[in-house]
Amino acid sequence: MEHEEVHIREEKYLITEGNKKWAFGLMIIGLILAAIGYFTYHPHIEGLSEHDLHHLSLKRLLSNILVNGYFFFIISVCAAVFIAISQIANAGWYVAIRRIPEAMSEYTVPGGIIVIVLTLFGLSTLYHWAHEGIMTKGSANYDALLAGKSWYLNKPFYFIRMVLFIGFWIFCAFMIRKYSRNEDEVGGLVNFKKTYALSAAFVVIFAFTFSMYSWDQIMSIDAHWYSTIFSVYNFATGWVSALTIIYLFTWYLRGKGYLNIVTDEHQHDLGKFMFAFSVFWTYMWVAQFLLIWYANIPEEVAYYKERLFGSYQFYFYFVVLVNFCIPFFLFMSRDNKRNRKVGFFVGAAMLVGHWLDVYLMVIPGTMNLATDPTDAHPAGIIKVASQGFGLMEIGFVCLFAGLFIWVTLKALTKANLYPTKHPYIKESALHDVGI
Amino acid sequence: MESDKLLILGIYDNPDKTYTATKKLIAGGYEIFDVYSPFAIHGLDRVMGIKRTRLSIAAFVFAMTGLSLALIFMIYTSYFDWQINVGGKPSLHIPTYIPITFELGILFTAIGMVTCFFIVNRMFWGKNADIMDIRVTDDLFVVAVDVKKSKADIGMLNQMLIDNGAIEVRERIKEV
Repeated sequence: MEHEEVHIREEKYLITEGNKKWAFGLMIIGLILAAIGYFTYHPHIEGLSEHDLHHLSLKRLLSNILVNGYFFFIISVCAAVFIAISQIANAGWYVAIRRIPEAMSEYTVPGGIIVIVLTLFGLSTLYHWAHEGIMTKGSANYDALLAGKSWYLNKPFYFIRMVLFIGFWIFCAFMIRKYSRNEDEVGGLVNFKKTYALSAAFVVIFAFTFSMYSWDQIMSIDAHWYSTIFSVYNFATGWVSALTIIYLFTWYLRGKGYLNIVTDEHQHDLGKFMFAFSVFWTYMWVAQFLLIWYANIPEEVAYYKERLFGSYQFYFYFVVLVNFCIPFFLFMSRDNKRNRKVGFFVGAAMLVGHWLDVYLMVIPGTMNLATDPTDAHPAGIIKVASQGFGLMEIGFVCLFAGLFIWVTLKALTKANLYPTKHPYIKESALHDVGI
Repeated sequence: MESDKLLILGIYDNPDKTYTATKKLIAGGYEIFDVYSPFAIHGLDRVMGIKRTRLSIAAFVFAMTGLSLALIFMIYTSYFDWQINVGGKPSLHIPTYIPITFELGILFTAIGMVTCFFIVNRMFWGKNADIMDIRVTDDLFVVAVDVKKSKADIGMLNQMLIDNGAIEVRERIKEV
């Protein structure tokens, strides 16, 4: 509207010494802690040989890389999806903060490479179905159920899917960034229209590919078990975590004096998103849990039995408490969504909670040992109780968080902090959610 | 004419003019009865100094009522009053109650909020809406000024409305 002035400023983020210290400090400390954790981890479990236990520490190492690699990777992909969805919804409000998800989407490159390399080397260690002889008839550990899935769960097809999906997402995120940065130079509607077409294709293909990706990466850890809502549930995890990080970065940059056109109104809308998708995540979580719990079919319930009654019980309840109760009760009020301190608390809590949620999807399934099927272990899996929360877990979180922060901040320096020539930039600057 | 129910309506054909006129009238000490617009004008609510709605608080109360009533009902019927053995499952187990609790919470919130909204706005079935000017439902905007509360001189007010771009100025008696 003509009665208000908008000051569009061309500003670029400058990486401070503090940023460097934090990002690299986290990475180095993370690496050291993880190394100490790995070399000091000597599990003692009755009835297991030295060789098996050695195998267990390698599993713990790789599972931790999988938890963090997956968590931060889906966040960065969901950041690109956030731009794509806002673009095809013709949203105006998000334009002022658009460069933050764009910067986060740059992590898809290192994140995707980490995930692919991990599965390349760790597949047969982490995934029960990928063990030698599981699908060959006549071998000691032959599993007829898994052999029936071999048309989908086989190594070549698995890697083809992995590379295709991740490559496609990296490509889309790259093109979105490229169009957006090009727009800053040439202006006009050319790039807007191109992004529109790309986003429409990206969102549709993403929906299918992400479903399969989440089955491949996480659900196939427990290859006997399956849940039809699993991919939606995983998407909710990644999406709400991505929104939380966008929200936190926005506060951080505003606190540093950047983003002059971003106001509490944008912050409020992001907060609403976080609130809404926390409830959405809980809905998915309950939908998956309740049906399995109530139907009580042995092959399905096995997945929840070790989480709900086993050594992971505390984490199980903690995840629901943190991911649902904290955002639901603290972020319901309008003032809290606009409050920096409450925002940081809720955001941090939600990130911890969703990380732990991914941890809970991965660790109980991977921290097991393979054996030949006997009467004692009919599925050919020796269950290992929770190994607790050690230096390795903390170390890898620090390492990946440091990497994520560094890649994102580095990407923020590459373009203006908001797209100055975007057709909707003025609408975004005047964004108002009302009273 | 009952002068304490008298409104002066300035009719505008442009949202920006409506916005600036409202701003100037309030700056000039006039009491705005209401502004009518076919669509939302951003920022107008702040200029008019409208207080934040309490409907969200009401919604929370209704939701909590629904949740607790659902829980009390289900715990009473399926545990205290008459236990039924369904496949050996425990009678008192909270997860089983979640779907109905959730649904009743939503039902109470929805019905409660609509009822609340109707009561606060004094609306009921069969009541004719008090539309200031029928054209406000199409493409025009109306700024209604309360003459008595503003202690305004009608001549000056008319002039001010026209100076700010009103295409027409009318008088009207408010019903409420």
